[in-house]
Amino acid sequence: MMDQLPVVIFLIPFVTAICVPMIGYRNRDWCGPIALLATIAMSVAAIVNLYVVLANGESRYAFGGWSISTSLPAFPLGIEWVNDPLASVMLVTLSGLSCICILYGTTDLPRSLGSRVVLYYTLVLILISALAGIVLAGDIFNVFVFLEVVALCAYALIGVSGGKALVAAFRYLILGTLGSSFYLLGVVFFYAATGTLNMGDLAQQLIEKPELMTSKAIIGGSTFLFLGLGIKMALFPLHGWLPGAYARAPSAVTPLLASLMTKIALYAWVRIMFWVLGAGAEIGHVHLLTLLGMLGTIATVAGAIIALAQDNLKRMFAYGGISHIGLILIGVSQENGVGLAGSLFYMINDAVMQASAFIIAGAAISLHDAQNVNELSRLRRSPWLVGSLIILAMSMIGVPPTGGFFGKWQIILSALQAANYVEVAAIIVATVLTMAYFLKIFSGIFGDGHRKAEQQPNESKIGLRICLAVTSAAMVVLGLCADPMSRFFRATATSVGL
Amino acid sequence: MIEHITSALQRPNFIAFVILFLWGLFIMVSHPNLIKKLIGLYLVQTSIIFLLVTFSAKKDATVPILQGDDSLVSAVNEIDPNEYANPLPHVLTLTAIVVQVATLGVSLALVAAIYRTYDSLDENEILEKLK
Repeated sequence: MMDQLPVVIFLIPFVTAICVPMIGYRNRDWCGPIALLATIAMSVAAIVNLYVVLANGESRYAFGGWSISTSLPAFPLGIEWVNDPLASVMLVTLSGLSCICILYGTTDLPRSLGSRVVLYYTLVLILISALAGIVLAGDIFNVFVFLEVVALCAYALIGVSGGKALVAAFRYLILGTLGSSFYLLGVVFFYAATGTLNMGDLAQQLIEKPELMTSKAIIGGSTFLFLGLGIKMALFPLHGWLPGAYARAPSAVTPLLASLMTKIALYAWVRIMFWVLGAGAEIGHVHLLTLLGMLGTIATVAGAIIALAQDNLKRMFAYGGISHIGLILIGVSQENGVGLAGSLFYMINDAVMQASAFIIAGAAISLHDAQNVNELSRLRRSPWLVGSLIILAMSMIGVPPTGGFFGKWQIILSALQAANYVEVAAIIVATVLTMAYFLKIFSGIFGDGHRKAEQQPNESKIGLRICLAVTSAAMVVLGLCADPMSRFFRATATSVGL
Repeated sequence: MIEHITSALQRPNFIAFVILFLWGLFIMVSHPNLIKKLIGLYLVQTSIIFLLVTFSAKKDATVPILQGDDSLVSAVNEIDPNEYANPLPHVLTLTAIVVQVATLGVSLALVAAIYRTYDSLDENEILEKLK
């Protein structure tokens, strides 16, 4: 039973997604609770899976029993999923956050949706299962298929309420599909050069035949893979689709997309970078990781600067997210264990932070109709929102008791260790800019804005309060558990030779 | 330089792939009409599938089914892989086509919704109306 867990985790939301329309068209009110139950079950399965993996070590799931033959030259015959410690931690993060996002979605669905509510839950559940698929996939073509499923659900979810969101969804569709096409082209190049799609087998071949690493097919392939995933993870010059899509999508959708989609694309890239290509991979004569570090440096500063220039709260957080992607890439690119461990830890933190940020921004719109910074003084009536915003600010800036601090601290330490002082400076500049835009938000809330006649305080729903409390608590708990988690990720980094 | 060109000319399929790919990209970037953008996108995707099919084609190859002795492992040394076509790229092609069709469906639905809302398919006009 236990060795079936990875597939069970994937199937729980997937099967529920098929059941939701059948039940939903009879009684629409049931969809939300069913979806929520499914993600809670998924979280429980993911936690059990984490225990199993920590106890028994990495396991590989071969579909249909087509396992990799151990005799002869090892030859992967079927599709396999890799269920290693990193994947199991990501699964726990993914399922926990999707729980929170669906709970928030039930409180904040636009009334204009009507019967499309059923479709909303179906798409969200398929999106979650496909994300779990990306996390587990041990096969680069499998990653492509799941990336496309995620993207298709995301296009539909962004455009689900119509209006201006449609144009944002279309722009995302053009860029996102181009990104997956690039990714597919990279996969084709890899396959042409090595004749295999399995990540473990690819890595094996690249080690056994070092001349492959300098062949045009692998260089071109890794360039295209990175371009494709770069669009998906909204790396700075390729981020064009993200702000519009996040700002215009329904509030119920944004936390899910913001917290999970870009982070999982980044995770897929980290997988391919360290588990397939190896840390020493080069494009031409340029070290791939050096290039990545430069892009990350630009992204983290530019994202923070543009965020400071925004007035719309959602756009501000969207650019903040772009800045954080850059920060994580800086950590990944230091080519030492501290950097990779710090970035993986920060990635989980960032997923929680983005979920919290967009839940707050969405609740500010639905409760107080406050979209822009100068309207935020209305938030003074909801202490829950302001309280979680303060914890969010602490985590995004990096104030010690929260998880954001420890991730950032390790990334800075690793950059110092590798003597990349420009990148250290970039992180510090980005931190100062983050402080500046939160100052802008808080002066919007507590400053002498135009005071409206005090209305009856808005009754915030219990679901929303749970979401805010859990995400805020998660940020603090991640900070308190920073030490064991860092040690865990250090072990992961050691396993790939850093 | 000349040997590069002659070696490229020996693989006309790859040149066709590059032309199709860049043409699709060009259409996507240059045309303001949303449907034409989709056509460009479709060309890009098709060109990649074309590349997959191209390098998996094999002359005088047969279906990869072993006849007679069905024990693959024991017969492995007597099998000449050059006689058999590799089925995997074709399977990948099929999967990629399915993904492409799904993307096209979603994108056409989005374009239809945009047309109903803004009464135009021209990107510039739509951006005007968004303001």
